[in-house]
Amino acid sequence: MNSYACLVVEDSPMMRQLIVFALSRIKNMTVTEADDGIVGLKKLAQTNFDLIITDINMPIMDGLKLVRKIRSDERHKDVPVIVITTEGSREDRERAMALGASAYITKPIQAPQVIETVKELLRI
Amino acid sequence: MSVKGKAAVQEAPGDARHQREEFVRSFLHKSAELAEELIRDNQHMEQQLHREREENAKLRAQLASNDAARELLGTIERMEEERRQLMQRSAELSLFEQRQADTERELNDLASLYVASFQLSSSLSLGRVVKHMCELMEQLCGGQSFVFYLLTQDGKRAIPVSAQGRLPAPLAPITLEDGPLADACLTGVARVHEPDEPRRPGEPIAILPLQFGTQVVGAFALYELLPHKRAFEKVDRELFKLLAVQGATALIAANLYAKEGGPRAALHDVLMNLEAERHKQLVAADSDAGGEL
Repeated sequence: MNSYACLVVEDSPMMRQLIVFALSRIKNMTVTEADDGIVGLKKLAQTNFDLIITDINMPIMDGLKLVRKIRSDERHKDVPVIVITTEGSREDRERAMALGASAYITKPIQAPQVIETVKELLRI
Repeated sequence: MSVKGKAAVQEAPGDARHQREEFVRSFLHKSAELAEELIRDNQHMEQQLHREREENAKLRAQLASNDAARELLGTIERMEEERRQLMQRSAELSLFEQRQADTERELNDLASLYVASFQLSSSLSLGRVVKHMCELMEQLCGGQSFVFYLLTQDGKRAIPVSAQGRLPAPLAPITLEDGPLADACLTGVARVHEPDEPRRPGEPIAILPLQFGTQVVGAFALYELLPHKRAFEKVDRELFKLLAVQGATALIAANLYAKEGGPRAALHDVLMNLEAERHKQLVAADSDAGGEL
């Protein structure tokens, strides 16, 4: 049976908890949390992940920079990345997709939307 | 005599022959007739047999056709039964899917309530508590534009503490005399309109007073919802209640904690305060009992 490792990078504890809750509904999914892009990069240096979910608006290092870093790293360049954006921020969404994000989820977080997107990317 | 006898004898063979011939002819004739009759009867019987055979074949064919019809009817009945069973199964599956969707929705609602409650009670930092409350309003209740007010100690004015989105008026303290905000703060009763319900210009969709015990300590005025949000659901009303009670408690706790020098310092006089509270309850009980006597 396949197991999956996911990194969630989100500065809001509430949003992070909602995403983790949604991911916990997927069988054999382990989740690592990071509250900003720098912490996310540290986790990426230590572990290989099957999937990365990142918010765009974060202090210290935002999601766009993180996506750029991930795509320029040989180890993680093929890992699916989901970006979390707000309904109105179409520009951010387009930039993230242009940088190599695989999919996006709009806030407010809906568990079924998260589960569906993740399953699609991991082909579960 | 002998001549006569001879003549008689001579005549007798001729007659006898004639008679024999006649007899034979008659016999043959009758035999031929009988044979002809027999042949006719035979032919007639053959024809009858042929007709009977044809009739029989027809009856057999009809019987076979009836059997086929019976078999067909049996098949139709079986198929009807199968169809009924399939329809029942389909109805059961629809019901199951509906129940599953309901369960899924309830699970998500419970998760939202759990996360909201957990986050509100997870911090004693005033800034974080206010942030959590605003996030809850935005992310879980779907609020796009709102103002968070705190009431002054006398409860006569509402001071804006945090705001988000496009607001109908610039942020400023409000004197609570008239209007929906004043009413909600005075009564402690939330006013929640449906998003498509007609309202006066600048009137909030919802006003949620934050209450501790009987005192209102603040309020959220919600002016605009996120585009996807078309109506308030049951879970939104539960979240409003949670925000009203747990939000107020979290704010008071965080504000009191801000004056302390850390978690242990905040609890240093807890035993003394517990004792004082118990004493106060005993005094109240005694005075109640004295009043009754």
